[in-house]
Amino acid sequence: MRGINQTGIVRRVQGVVKRVNLAGWLFVVLVAGLLEAAVRLFELQDSLPASSATLRALAHGILSGTLPGELRTTLESYAEGFALAIVGGVVLGVAIGSSRTLLDASSVVIEFLRPIPAVALIPLAILFFGVGIPMRRFLIAYAALWPILINTLYGVRGTDRVLHDVAETSGVTRVGRAVRVTLPAALPSIATGIRVSASIALLVGVTAEFVIGTDGIGSYMQRQQLAYQLPELYAALVLIGLLGYAINVVLRATEQRVVFWVGEERMAGR
Amino acid sequence: MAVTVSRFGRRLLGVVVFAAALGIWEAWARSEGSFLVPPASAVAERAGQVWPTTDFLITVAASLKRLAAGFVIGAGIGVAVGLMMGSSRRTRRTLEPLTEFSRAIPPIAIVPVAIVLLGLGDAMRIAVIAFAVCFPVLVNTIEGVRAVSPEARDTASMLHVSSVGRTFRIYFPAALPCIVAGLRIAVAIGLLMVVISEFVGEGDGLGRYILFQQSQFNIPEMYGGILFLGLLGYVLNRLFLLAERRVLAWHYGAAGGPAP
Amino acid sequence: MIASAPAVLRVAQLGKRYSSEGPAALSGVSFDVAEGELLAVVGPSGCGKTTLLRLLCGLTPPSDGAVLFNGRPVLRPPREFALVFQDYSRSLFPWLSVLRNVMFSLRGVGLPKAERVVRAETVLEELGLHGVARKYPWELSGGMQQRVALGRALVSRPEILLLDEPFASVDALTRAELQDVLLRVHGSTEGRRVTIVHVTHDIDEAVYLADRVLILSPAPGHVVRSIEVGLARPRAQTATRSSPRFLAVRNEIHVVIAARQE
Repeated sequence: MRGINQTGIVRRVQGVVKRVNLAGWLFVVLVAGLLEAAVRLFELQDSLPASSATLRALAHGILSGTLPGELRTTLESYAEGFALAIVGGVVLGVAIGSSRTLLDASSVVIEFLRPIPAVALIPLAILFFGVGIPMRRFLIAYAALWPILINTLYGVRGTDRVLHDVAETSGVTRVGRAVRVTLPAALPSIATGIRVSASIALLVGVTAEFVIGTDGIGSYMQRQQLAYQLPELYAALVLIGLLGYAINVVLRATEQRVVFWVGEERMAGR
Repeated sequence: MAVTVSRFGRRLLGVVVFAAALGIWEAWARSEGSFLVPPASAVAERAGQVWPTTDFLITVAASLKRLAAGFVIGAGIGVAVGLMMGSSRRTRRTLEPLTEFSRAIPPIAIVPVAIVLLGLGDAMRIAVIAFAVCFPVLVNTIEGVRAVSPEARDTASMLHVSSVGRTFRIYFPAALPCIVAGLRIAVAIGLLMVVISEFVGEGDGLGRYILFQQSQFNIPEMYGGILFLGLLGYVLNRLFLLAERRVLAWHYGAAGGPAP
Repeated sequence: MIASAPAVLRVAQLGKRYSSEGPAALSGVSFDVAEGELLAVVGPSGCGKTTLLRLLCGLTPPSDGAVLFNGRPVLRPPREFALVFQDYSRSLFPWLSVLRNVMFSLRGVGLPKAERVVRAETVLEELGLHGVARKYPWELSGGMQQRVALGRALVSRPEILLLDEPFASVDALTRAELQDVLLRVHGSTEGRRVTIVHVTHDIDEAVYLADRVLILSPAPGHVVRSIEVGLARPRAQTATRSSPRFLAVRNEIHVVIAARQE
């Protein structure tokens, strides 16, 4: 009989390695290392920063408060616009989705406005709102509205008719029904829409900052590019990537807790 | 009393509401006369004059060329890497942190990096478009391959298909509906990136046209450009929906499922 | 008789568990399969019948014991084996026509394309599928799709044919038809007789088809009994199923299984 403790320890280490995905993170380190080597060996400092330089710039930027400051500016308009879009998108979506008439009436308008990319409206938004926070708030809200609205409509329309019938015969008012049956039933779709909107909103917000160039991390990046400060530029890039990744992770976790019944349903259905 | 409204009637309602909205816009614009909100008729008039001109069409063609180039490159990479990651758990786990991180970077952030590496011209634009297009295609390809049924995989084992053969002859065709859906999403993103990339640097294109009109305060032309962009996006989306349906049909028949 | 034919497949102390702490799906399974024999495997659901089949094919490695084919251990699917699944719609490739699906087995065998086409068409005709070569699997009924799956398995002239509840997803009439198709395939005197291992939950089907029936216990599955069917061939749906011997064997199996479930 083999040494049980030995096997147990090996197995536990293997388990931890798998969960933390050591191989994956090692690969990231490998790529960074290769980049470092390539830049040093081939003297590419003019086009690419060495990974070590990027890390140093990142640390410096964070510790000096520059990067967090820019990030805060970006996140302010982002959060406000995103919140507006969620509220507007869900309310409109539930209202329109619950009524066949409203749905038909608004269908052409929605189909017309939907394909227009929010970033194309940047020049327009500048004319209307100037270059400050209101403009970014508007743009982010507009961009984030559509996936949420469409997904809410989809979720509301797709709800099992049985649930609707149960609600109707239960004597709850129309508004009550909308809030207590339609909304929860559409929640999985809405959650997906919110997740998609989050990345679109970030993209549009950063783009607007980049194009206008006043404040926020987008304009910070543009300034670094103009000044040819490559490590700082890449450091900001890494930070934005981490931000987007973090937002996604948070949303997914929230989604799993709020819409906890979805996984089970899918498993049962399969 | 149940009232049956025909499908035509419903569509008509939508159109009527839309026309009414246009009418309200027109009336308000004429009476208030805000410089920034020209009447719909003015926009339509200018559009009718500008859109058919060769200059405009050449500009649009330039944008579409960039989109096509970036799309092909990005989608190609997305499908290739997606097939690899979808078929091998180890590959997927290893590449996952890097792809998840890269995916989260808003493509606009790649623009300055691309400018430094590739300058201000088309190479930069195509690179940015390719980067943005790559990820939705990648994600959907992985999903499509992972959805291949265990029976199909076992059959591949039993019939001694090599792993390369398996990827091309089984996983790729099986994942095609998912892949095409990803391509459709990627086209919309690609179009977006064309416009964004044209906001910076030098050159022509629809994005530059919109920006230029804005700088010249040619408001109706600016609106026209934006609307044309929306139209382009709509047409491209519809084309891909058609392609998607055909691939799905060829997979499962027009009924959308196996015969009873 | 079959029993005196050499054992082409030998299973020795086969065990399988999916996770180190979890329960074993199979444990201590041992039996032989003689050449040309039609062996049925029955047991309650969850007794590991499908796991056993996957182990026999070499699709999954065993946790304990071994599967030996002509003396060699089976570590990956041997070329001489062919497998038919229950869910034909997920094992036939929907983007290939019926003919191409069947021809898929013949890749890498070194036959010129013309001959592959001829072989595939012949197999389809033999299985009663006329005029469907150019159609797609999803255009056919369930029974026909299962015949196509059978055709794909047979066209490579396997020595061992394994079937995992192949007729469970079709209606009763089609099932009877397909059972007879299988018997025809088995009874064909062309060349060597194919050895068949047929997993099913349908006891009547098992007795109707097989030379011998293996009864598995609930998890952890192992062989409870091996019963010689002893019915004459060729068999017929009505005549065989109403014979005294048939009823006796089937009752015996029912009793054994019921006893295990207490």
